[in-house]
Amino acid sequence: MNAFEPNLPIAMGRVGPDGRLVHAEARLADLNARAGGKVGAPLAVPPIASIVRLTQRLGVAISRAVVAADGEDDLDLWVRAEPDAEGVRLEVSGWRPRAAWQAPEGDALRENDFLNAEADWVWETDAAMRITHLAAESVSGLDPAAMLGQPLTLLFAFEADDEGALPILTAAAEQTRFDGQIAELRGTGQRVRISASPRIDALGRFAGFSGSAVRVDAAEEVALAARAPADPEFTSEFGQRLEKALRAPLARIIANADSISAKLDGPLRDDYAEYATDISNAGRHLLSLVEDLADLSAIEREDFSVEIEPIDLADIARRAAGLLAVRASEADVRIEKPPADEAMPVTGEFRRVLQIMVNLIGNAVRYSPPGAWVWVRIEREGALGCVIVADQGKGIAVEDQTKIFEKFGRVDPGEPGGSGLGLYIARRLARAMGGDILVDSAPDEGARFVLTLPHRAD
Amino acid sequence: MRKGALDGAQALLARTAAADGAAHRALSASIADFALSDDDRLDERTRAALARLLRALIATVEGEVGGHAARLLRAQGESALADMLEAQGSVADTLHASGLLREPALMGELIARVRQDLLAGGMAAQVQDEPERASLLNRLAQHPDRLLAQGAAAVLVSESRRRSVPDSGPLMQSDLPADLHHRLVWQVAAALRTGVGGTAPALDRALAEGAQRSLAAHDEGDRLEAAAMRLAAAIDARPGELPELLAEALGDRRVALFAALLAHALRIDFDGARAMTFDAASGRLWVALRALDFDRAAVARLGVALSEADPRRNVEAFADQLDAIMAVGVEEARGAIASLGLPADYRAALLALKGAAR
Repeated sequence: MNAFEPNLPIAMGRVGPDGRLVHAEARLADLNARAGGKVGAPLAVPPIASIVRLTQRLGVAISRAVVAADGEDDLDLWVRAEPDAEGVRLEVSGWRPRAAWQAPEGDALRENDFLNAEADWVWETDAAMRITHLAAESVSGLDPAAMLGQPLTLLFAFEADDEGALPILTAAAEQTRFDGQIAELRGTGQRVRISASPRIDALGRFAGFSGSAVRVDAAEEVALAARAPADPEFTSEFGQRLEKALRAPLARIIANADSISAKLDGPLRDDYAEYATDISNAGRHLLSLVEDLADLSAIEREDFSVEIEPIDLADIARRAAGLLAVRASEADVRIEKPPADEAMPVTGEFRRVLQIMVNLIGNAVRYSPPGAWVWVRIEREGALGCVIVADQGKGIAVEDQTKIFEKFGRVDPGEPGGSGLGLYIARRLARAMGGDILVDSAPDEGARFVLTLPHRAD
Repeated sequence: MRKGALDGAQALLARTAAADGAAHRALSASIADFALSDDDRLDERTRAALARLLRALIATVEGEVGGHAARLLRAQGESALADMLEAQGSVADTLHASGLLREPALMGELIARVRQDLLAGGMAAQVQDEPERASLLNRLAQHPDRLLAQGAAAVLVSESRRRSVPDSGPLMQSDLPADLHHRLVWQVAAALRTGVGGTAPALDRALAEGAQRSLAAHDEGDRLEAAAMRLAAAIDARPGELPELLAEALGDRRVALFAALLAHALRIDFDGARAMTFDAASGRLWVALRALDFDRAAVARLGVALSEADPRRNVEAFADQLDAIMAVGVEEARGAIASLGLPADYRAALLALKGAAR
């Protein structure tokens, strides 16, 4: 989106003191003609005409980005109007057709939010590439305060990429964003990866970069030295960055949509309140996807480990059933949970086991027909404590029973809801805690999922 | 019947008894809210940013005071007290409920700070006509005059520190004026103390010591506003240079520097100049510019820049007003803003008396 052309074509024009067009170069003349104007008549392109009027009234140069309709298209234009003795001199550049839909806020801002989510340093420069803002973690041998006002090259020693080019230079020349510029924090030996977006002023001119820098750790250093091709697959770093960047905005969307749908701020037409419910449901769905992806990236890390602590499986099963009570009653499904006095001492990590139980019971509720029961029972089998979640849904064919535990594995891809990651994550978690998840089902006979964890003597 | 149910019943009865009062208060608040004119009310962006800043400020002071107190308690073998101190959640709710935060001086400062940030955020970048020329502060930071260079560097550093308010967690420092910092520190210490309850002299002593430590570490001269004023004094712009400097400060989105340059030129305090910059309704900024004998082009240039950045200003309305602004004579304008040169406390007392007399 930020592909600003390096050499914007400029069309000049002149408007007389009476507001009539005296002269215009081809592009501007054509645009004006298509809007129904001509030389000798008032300017016919409304946003340009209003800038000219303002310039005449104020007697100062005005520069603005405007959108002008051109037939069926919209054009993004940079307009500069400058008053002089003979009226107003116009410079119109940009001339880019506008995409059908544009985000209301600058893309650069949003991109930066994303980059900054895990940045170790955030920086900004002016057009002369001197640092105007620097928020940095402390690094020995580097004083962030001393870097302000200095050229960016004093902070970072940039390294050329495989083709011998410096991404930052290319980006500055073309006024585009760049990513993955490797540099050394001068004098510290610390290498960083730099990304940035250009800031553009009202005339379409480059006003500096807003960027971030992320520490390159030792393992990455080795990979960089070997110049190994980057793994195009989903990386754990990406998953965590995604979660960090998305969680807060999604939570805000959900909270706001919920308050709209609850009509907290006053009466609202019902259909609008229902749209808000849709927004909030979609938001929750997205949030659960993001959480799944973050979990996935966590469990696929080599250093992933779980806490092994004494827990009561029956207690966790009751809590999970309680958490899903509302969803179950909305679906007209009843959950029979283990009796309050029952206990099953096992070992595992409390929040991970709760997560697994919510997943298993949630699935059971989702696949149950109205009026059905979901049973949650506790059993002991030798050295293992088990919790069994059984439903009256349509069941799972034997050939599909391995598929459901695969990454993104779904029996019916057309079915709504779920990322296809839940059971995969649940089983990986269970196994990491020394247990497992087993399934036992036949079509039309409902499904039985069993979570086992090591039993512990009290 | 179980004890829990009985407690619940008591709470329900208590709420019923209090319901009349609560409904009355809610109604009064609604009426007050309805009666406000839109100009007086905070817009949503300002309100959200203010809430965020206040939360971050309280977290900052809480971290300083509570953190130090907990360390002291641990060192004295009072780990249980330290745990209780650390286990309590944010004191922000306690302070809100107490009404202690509804203090004009504190809220005035915070609202101004938030507006300053929002205005800077809305400011369109304005590149110099010579593309290789560095921005104003960066040029000044390289100036051979050491006073100027140090002043500019201090503004760069304090603005960098000030600029990002985290979604959660503390700021680098409160950056409040000394009297406000002083009051907030003791209020937070008291709220932390109330959260634990009971009699615990060791806790009282530790919190007081933590508060005193935070107060000792606070340097009002470190504030962005102070740094900007020092720089404005070091620049000591001649009348001919001022219009260009002010325009450039806005073009670089340095609102604090803009206010400081204006304050120095008008010989008024920073807060007065800043208030003028945000005051979209009264137009006293234009009168002030006339008092500095700015010509039509200079007033228009600043007017356009501010109108584009501040959603409460309207560039067309400004254009309508421009002839009237230029018709104000320099001496008239100086007379009109002369009172701003008087000490702020004196002006506040005069206003308060006038309000009481009405």
